[in-house]
Amino acid sequence: MKILIADDDRMSRQLLMKTLEREGYEVIAVDNGLLALQQLSLPDGPRLALLDWMMPGLDGAGVCSEVRKQHDRPYIHIVLVTSKREKQDIVAGLEAGADDYLTKPWDPAELTARLRVGQRILQLEDRLVEARETMRFKATHDPLTSLLNRGVIVDLLARELTRTRREDGCTVTMLGDIDHFKSVNDGYGHVVGDEVLREVARRLLSSVRSYDFVGRYGGEEFLIVLNNCSSAQADVRAEEVRNGIAKHPVQTSRGPLPITMSLGVFASKDWNLDQVEETLAKVDSALYRAKADGRNCVRRAAPNTSQDPLRQLIK
Amino acid sequence: MTQPVDRSSHGAVNLTELLTRVENDHELLDELIEIFKEEFPRILLSLQKSIACGNMKDVEAASHAMKGMLSGLSVTRAASIASRLEQLARDGKTSELTEVLALLEREVNDLLPELDTYTAEKKP
Repeated sequence: MKILIADDDRMSRQLLMKTLEREGYEVIAVDNGLLALQQLSLPDGPRLALLDWMMPGLDGAGVCSEVRKQHDRPYIHIVLVTSKREKQDIVAGLEAGADDYLTKPWDPAELTARLRVGQRILQLEDRLVEARETMRFKATHDPLTSLLNRGVIVDLLARELTRTRREDGCTVTMLGDIDHFKSVNDGYGHVVGDEVLREVARRLLSSVRSYDFVGRYGGEEFLIVLNNCSSAQADVRAEEVRNGIAKHPVQTSRGPLPITMSLGVFASKDWNLDQVEETLAKVDSALYRAKADGRNCVRRAAPNTSQDPLRQLIK
Repeated sequence: MTQPVDRSSHGAVNLTELLTRVENDHELLDELIEIFKEEFPRILLSLQKSIACGNMKDVEAASHAMKGMLSGLSVTRAASIASRLEQLARDGKTSELTEVLALLEREVNDLLPELDTYTAEKKP
């Protein structure tokens, strides 16, 4: 494990280095507070630090304060090493963000024992962060396909629609539905049906840009949100997605199955809309037309067309 | 690393304590002594100069550095005198500085020869 030593006293540095190297640490030693802060701010910087209190540039307590402002970094366990023995000094060091302190001259056994405590705390923190991330993923993703779940993809669509309206841009929304999926489940069983869903999800993800969003909207329905995609490009992109599904059969445990997808497409710029409910209604209508027109095709929700069922209803 | 040395402290350096701190690593102890011999005269000179100039901030910094070095090498009595100098500088008690500095100088007078003797005794 990496550990940072910051001490302007050469003898202390050397003694700490040797003691910690003997314990198996990968030691980085610096002689002032500014260099210490620089090291602790690196993305793969040390997560254990021994800081001398009095140092030129920035003292140990100052380094602690600065490090604690970096909320987006993994936690760093900081031990202040000081010859200050007064209670108020120790309190000030801990208040500045130090986790522990050692007084000079330190006992090597106590030093290494305290660092092991620090390591245990860091390991505990890592496990908590990992558990939190797992829970976050489970709360936001579909367990079968690992795509974004319905709630999250709809929220993202709402956010993108508002943003592009504000910036006078365009968000393209696609709603895709696997054709005749019921016959896959009925004919081959749900295990194969799940295999198809997983493979379709994988192909959808690989046919969009890394910053687009793909989510599972319903059973065999998928919602795709393309940021900053022009209205002119919408059909081309949708055709790429459709072709990505239809081009090759899906390999399943029961052999290859030809799978196709029908898609409805909606470009926010065409309608000047920023309401998610209306957007979903329009794209759903377009998907319905794609199904009605024979499936495995793309239909655009275009304004001023008699094919829009909502518009027909209003008439 | 060699076997622990059973040797009591006679002079300024508490050798027993020091060997415990370096975990009986004589090679490391030699390195520390070398660093001390390089750094000590420079910090002592800085301390003397800052006391002569009456610059309390520099006196505090130099005596703090001196205290760290001396306690690092288990030169306990001298480290405590350096600590007293640091406190005097912090409190702005300039009148006592020269007297305490003289005390420190007397205490560390035999330190470098003592370290040389230790190093020479170890050689085969």
